Amino acid sequence: MATAAEIEDLIARVALGDRQAFSRLYDSTSAKLFGVVLRVLNDRASAEDAVQDAYMKIWRHAGRYSANGMSPMTWMITIARNTAIDRLRRTRATVDLDGVAEHLTAPGPNPEQSAVAAGEARRITACLDELEQDRGAAVRGAYLEGQSYADLAARFNVPLNTMRTWLRRSLQSLQECMAR
Amino acid sequence: MTDRTEDTPRDDDSLLAAEYVLRLLNPAEEAAVAARLALEPALAAEVAAWTTRLSGMDAEVAEMRPAAAVKAGLERRLFGLTPRAPFWQRAGLWQAVSLASLAVAAFFAVQSLQVPPEPARAPLFVSEIAAEDQSLRLLAVYDSAAGEVRLTRTAGSAADGRVLQLWAIVGQAAPVSLGVLPQDATTAVILPAALREDVADLILAVSDEPPGGSPTGAPTGAVLAVGQVNAL
Repeated sequence: MATAAEIEDLIARVALGDRQAFSRLYDSTSAKLFGVVLRVLNDRASAEDAVQDAYMKIWRHAGRYSANGMSPMTWMITIARNTAIDRLRRTRATVDLDGVAEHLTAPGPNPEQSAVAAGEARRITACLDELEQDRGAAVRGAYLEGQSYADLAARFNVPLNTMRTWLRRSLQSLQECMAR
Repeated sequence: MTDRTEDTPRDDDSLLAAEYVLRLLNPAEEAAVAARLALEPALAAEVAAWTTRLSGMDAEVAEMRPAAAVKAGLERRLFGLTPRAPFWQRAGLWQAVSLASLAVAAFFAVQSLQVPPEPARAPLFVSEIAAEDQSLRLLAVYDSAAGEVRLTRTAGSAADGRVLQLWAIVGQAAPVSLGVLPQDATTAVILPAALREDVADLILAVSDEPPGGSPTGAPTGAVLAVGQVNAL
C-alpha cells in the first residue's frame, strides 16, 4: 500500500490526465475499494461494476480533491461507498450523489478540525464497543453495509422511528466518546 | 477548539451530517442536505469531520483484489476509443516519450546491436514501443541504409502460448505486419519498401496474437505497446 503522500501525488497527476498515474493509483488502492463495495453489495459482479464506476468518478473528480480536507484514502473510499450504495438502492428513487465528493472538500474543514477528526477516527472501534451491542451493530450496518433506517428497522425488528432515535443517540454517544 | 459548543442548532446539524454521511436519510432529505452543503461551509465541515471520524471503520474492511479484467474493463470504459479511432491510440501514452530519452535509449540499442559506428552515414530513426505501464518495452532503431528495423526488447514478453507481432502504421492506413517477434530479446526485421519513404511518420505497435501470428492479416489481440518513430 502506498503512503497517503504518494496517493495524494498520484491523484494530483490523475487530475492532469496522467493515465499512467491513474493505473498506479488503481493498483495501489483497488483492493481496499473493492473490499468496501463488496461489503455493501455482497455480490462480486455488481461490486466489479461499482468499483469501475467509482474509479471513473475518481478520474473525473481528481481535480477537486485537495489535500486540505480528508485523507486521500478516505476521499476515495467515500466515493466507492456512495457508488455502491447508489447501486444498491437503484430501484428506489435516489438523488444523484455524484457531487458528494466535491462538497466534501469544497470549503473543507480547517487543518485543526481535520487533525481532531483523524485522531477521533482511531478511537471509533473502542467507542462502538462502548455502545449497547445492537446499537454498535446498527452503526456498523449503516456504514459498512449501506443499510438505511428502513433496512435497520427491519433487521432489528423495531419501528422505523425507534430506529432513528436509537441511531441518533448512538451517534451522539459516539461523538462524545471519540472526543474524550 | 472551535464551533462545536457555540449553539444548539449546530448540534442538530452535526447529527444530520452524520446521518448524511451514513446514507441513512431518505432521498428527499439527502437532496435537502446536498443543497445546503454548497451554501453552508459549517455544515460541509461537519460532513467532512464525520466522514473522517467514521472512516476509522474502514480498517474493518478486508482488502480484496478485483480480477484483472476489472482494470482492463475500466480503462476501456475510460480511454477505449470507438472502433473508428486510429488503432494505435488504444495503447495510450506513447506521445509522452521524450526525444531526449529516445536518444539515450537509441545509443544503448545501437551499442547492444553492435552496429559498426558510422555516425554520418544516414539519418537515424528510433522508436520506443512501450506499454502504458511499461510492462512491455522495445527499442527500435531503423537503419535506413539496410532498410532494417532493429529491435531490443527491454521489458516484458509474450504471454504463455501467445506471440508478439509487430505492426507498422502510416496515417489512417491499415496496420502492416512486420512479422512475429522471436523469443530473443534482439531481432531485426526488414521494413517493406513501400513504408521506407514514410518512416518518419511511422507508428510501430506490438499486439498479442496466437502462435504463428494473426490469422487475419490484421491485429486480432490486444495492442500491448505502441511507439512513434522519431528522427534523431
